[in-house]
Amino acid sequence: MGKNDKTRRIDIINVACIDSHVDKTLLESLEASGIDCHYHCRDGFCGACRTNLVSGTVEYTTDPLAFIDDDEILPCCCYPTTDIKINIPR
Amino acid sequence: MKYTTFNQKSVNPLTEPMFFGNPVNVARYDQQKHSIFEKLIEKQISFFWRPEEVDVTRDRVDFQKLTEPEQHIFISNLKYQTLLDSVQGRSPNIAFLPIVSLPELETWIETWSFFETIHSRSYTHILRNLFSDPSNIFEDIVVNDQIKRRAADISKYYDDLIFHTQLWQTQGEGMHTVEGKTYEINMRVLKKKLYLCMNSVNALEAIRFYVSFACTFAFAERELMEGNAKIIRLIARDENLHLSSTQHILNLWAKGKDDPEMADIAKECHEEARQIFINAVEQEKEWADYLFQNGSMIGMNKEILCQYVEFIANQRMSAIGFDSPFDVKSNPLPWMNNYLNSDNVQVAPQESEISSYLVGQIDSAVGEGDFADFEL
Repeated sequence: MGKNDKTRRIDIINVACIDSHVDKTLLESLEASGIDCHYHCRDGFCGACRTNLVSGTVEYTTDPLAFIDDDEILPCCCYPTTDIKINIPR
Repeated sequence: MKYTTFNQKSVNPLTEPMFFGNPVNVARYDQQKHSIFEKLIEKQISFFWRPEEVDVTRDRVDFQKLTEPEQHIFISNLKYQTLLDSVQGRSPNIAFLPIVSLPELETWIETWSFFETIHSRSYTHILRNLFSDPSNIFEDIVVNDQIKRRAADISKYYDDLIFHTQLWQTQGEGMHTVEGKTYEINMRVLKKKLYLCMNSVNALEAIRFYVSFACTFAFAERELMEGNAKIIRLIARDENLHLSSTQHILNLWAKGKDDPEMADIAKECHEEARQIFINAVEQEKEWADYLFQNGSMIGMNKEILCQYVEFIANQRMSAIGFDSPFDVKSNPLPWMNNYLNSDNVQVAPQESEISSYLVGQIDSAVGEGDFADFEL
């Protein structure tokens, strides 16, 4: 299991391009940059933050329990392990 | 097919569908077809709580201070939630357990229903504290027209599935006449009833609770009825997990990862299932209308509440592969998220064993670098 100790580039399609924060979940990195992403539980079981992962990879800090499709991720409980491109549903 | 509590036939649960396969025999979890259900069980059990742990005594003073329209909103919502959890405390057991075929799913259904009974008990806990004799409130639930209309719509899909399952298990497939009415029983009909019932349950867990949640948390935002809000937070966290399970079931079917016939039915009944969702949204809006008929409360009115229902519905519908039919782009009640965030649910870890507290005990991540300064 890797460690969340490197800054990665996060490209949010049609929104912005930001840097991820070390030791923060993807959702926290988005919030730190003032980017809106819906959430409820912040613990991977409700699925409110479901987001499309267009390219790149992420690692989960807790096993996601909410239903996610093969091309979807839960930002509340993962961090990027490469530069990533995501599409937040509006 | 007759139901048996312990199926003597040797079956391989890894090749069974979720429902309408062979009845479960051994409750074993060492091998699982859909391991997600055991993970949900573990999570749900880690959420265990008792209503008595939450002190609601200050709410009585707050309640006296509420205006009459506010009291109407508060009490009506409690009545509605009591109805919802009365239904959910028994119906998944009665409707789904006789037809379930996977041990992990069977246990999830039992766990799920058990938690709904905790919710039911907590409404009594709240009401007992507000009134010396809460029986008027409970008695009104079966008399109140507004609540009865909702009850009819929620229970009809369950009742339909339960009745057809009973006919199938006692009489088998074919045409059966009961009290002058003829019913056609075959696997396709049963599976359709199951699909529609699951959609109705999904809509219930997804949006029906949220109008009353929003009102409860709107009181809490004004620092009123906070004991009650604490309990409703715990309930909301559980309901989120239940919703996750019905979404999994519907998606497993629709994506053909379980019973291929169910994938077919999901396509065939798509429009009907979508309508169940839309009807639930409409009914929730009517409910908002009823709540605010005597006047509104600070920080909340009918329009915002209706928008919130639409916003939530968009999300919930896209989660099961439906379209998002409502034109609401941003969350009209952003503070709701603070209450639905499970990290903010206050519990003493040693008392209720929150999962993060348990999981955080061991750091199981071992990298190569951890042995760098290790010499033999």
